[in-house]
Amino acid sequence: MLKQREFWMIMAASLSLGLLGVLLTVWGNPENSGICVSCFLENSAGALGLHANERMQYLRPELIGFVLGAMGSALLFREFRSRGGNAPLGRFTAGFFLIVGCAIFIGCPIKLFLRLTAGDLTALAALGGLVAGVWLGLRSLAAGVHFGMSTPQRGGTGFVVPALFALLLVFALVQPSFILTSSRGSAAQHAPLLLSLGAGVLLGFLAQRSRFCITGGVRDALVLGRRAPLLWGLIAFTGAAVLANLLIGRFEPGFYGQPGAHLEHAWSFLGMGLVGWISVLVGGCPFRQLIKAGEGDTDAGMVVLGMLIGAAVVQGWGLAATAAGVPVYGKVAVLVGLALVLLTGLLMRERSA
Amino acid sequence: MRWDWHDRLHVLGLIGVVAALAWLLIAGVPGASGARQASGIERAMEREMAYQARAAFLQQIYGPVQDLRRQGQAQQALLMLEQLNRTYAGEAHGFVLKGLILHEQGVLEEAVASFVQGLRLNGDYVDQRSPLSERTRIQKAVEEGLTVLSERARANPDNPSVTAALRNVYYLQSRLAGGCE
Repeated sequence: MLKQREFWMIMAASLSLGLLGVLLTVWGNPENSGICVSCFLENSAGALGLHANERMQYLRPELIGFVLGAMGSALLFREFRSRGGNAPLGRFTAGFFLIVGCAIFIGCPIKLFLRLTAGDLTALAALGGLVAGVWLGLRSLAAGVHFGMSTPQRGGTGFVVPALFALLLVFALVQPSFILTSSRGSAAQHAPLLLSLGAGVLLGFLAQRSRFCITGGVRDALVLGRRAPLLWGLIAFTGAAVLANLLIGRFEPGFYGQPGAHLEHAWSFLGMGLVGWISVLVGGCPFRQLIKAGEGDTDAGMVVLGMLIGAAVVQGWGLAATAAGVPVYGKVAVLVGLALVLLTGLLMRERSA
Repeated sequence: MRWDWHDRLHVLGLIGVVAALAWLLIAGVPGASGARQASGIERAMEREMAYQARAAFLQQIYGPVQDLRRQGQAQQALLMLEQLNRTYAGEAHGFVLKGLILHEQGVLEEAVASFVQGLRLNGDYVDQRSPLSERTRIQKAVEEGLTVLSERARANPDNPSVTAALRNVYYLQSRLAGGCE
């Protein structure tokens, strides 16, 4: 494994993700949220005026960087392929509920690990949920549940999502008057634009080359054990983030007083369980969906659009958990998500005649 | 690949549209100062004005309570707060103010409970950028709570009221820690 280029690419992506995930908080992002795809999507949806939470509106350049960095890498190494066309509405809905699950835990799988590496022990329940969800997803795949294989597509359909993010980049740089920006709350905390964008592009580039994915790492570990390069990537990511947190003095182990955390562990478990399960079915965590969308995968693009709308809805309807706890309708939304995943298992199962 | 008239027409059209777009962005946008930013700036302005107006309204309504508090008449201040809370039930400001007065009186457990009620309704009170911020005072109550109530909980592990008070302190600690919400 040590002789494989793929392994070292994964290591480079993982170490960068761990280091930048912590450094971005030093440069201004909210604590333990150096990188969080779901939080950033909620911020960005707010900036576009898709929800009215005045504390969650900022067009996060990191997200733009992920997609454009992945596109740049895919184009450079001739891996950009327009492909997709399977179960678009199913994928859109999956993206929506990916964000619901993340919003209940307060963070995507990357943030789960960043929270753990800063000593936030409340994330342990979510880690259990993520592993359980990935395991359930694997069982579903083994039973023949899938959204279908992607097929090559004509023309430049694969450029639609990168073009959308390029437009967002223009908005971030020009700051047109219709883009909203919070003056207080967590969205008001952000690293300088060019630093965020640069970090995003670098991580997008490396993640495209390495196929790094949090739920993919868990999945491969469950299937291949120690032989899975992504598992070592996950370990490297965790180690780098712990080290960085220790060095900057932000490692504070405990259950209480953790930034952006609540104590409703059962709901953290269920929320991340939903995320893990869906991620396996759609082929990657929210971060991986952005990367795949950047390399021309329109199926992942549908998931990304679903995530964006989900981000708007969880904030607009007040479904998202906060340090105050998990709202009742947020709990309802997670259960609806779980019901839909179970239905998917019934309706999208390939059965032998 | 040979381009036929259809392709050429499309390319020409595309060049025309891009040129028009560039002209609009470069020349048109800075010139139209009035209409240009009306929607966005107005929205941001209206939002900020509404927020500032709310803060000013709260200061005005609860001003007499603050005056009594400053004069050291805590009991009268609490009585007036009780009356105001009947009219403006569910207003976070009243709970936070009550917490501040109780904390000054040394009634730590009730003060912390009142802060929790207030913060569940509105997180602005621990936001450093908010004009309503009472972060420093709440922080102080949490620090005291962690020391005093932890000791009390260790001494009386079966006392449910101490456990509940300590849970409230942990809740405030989480809110103060911030992070994404």
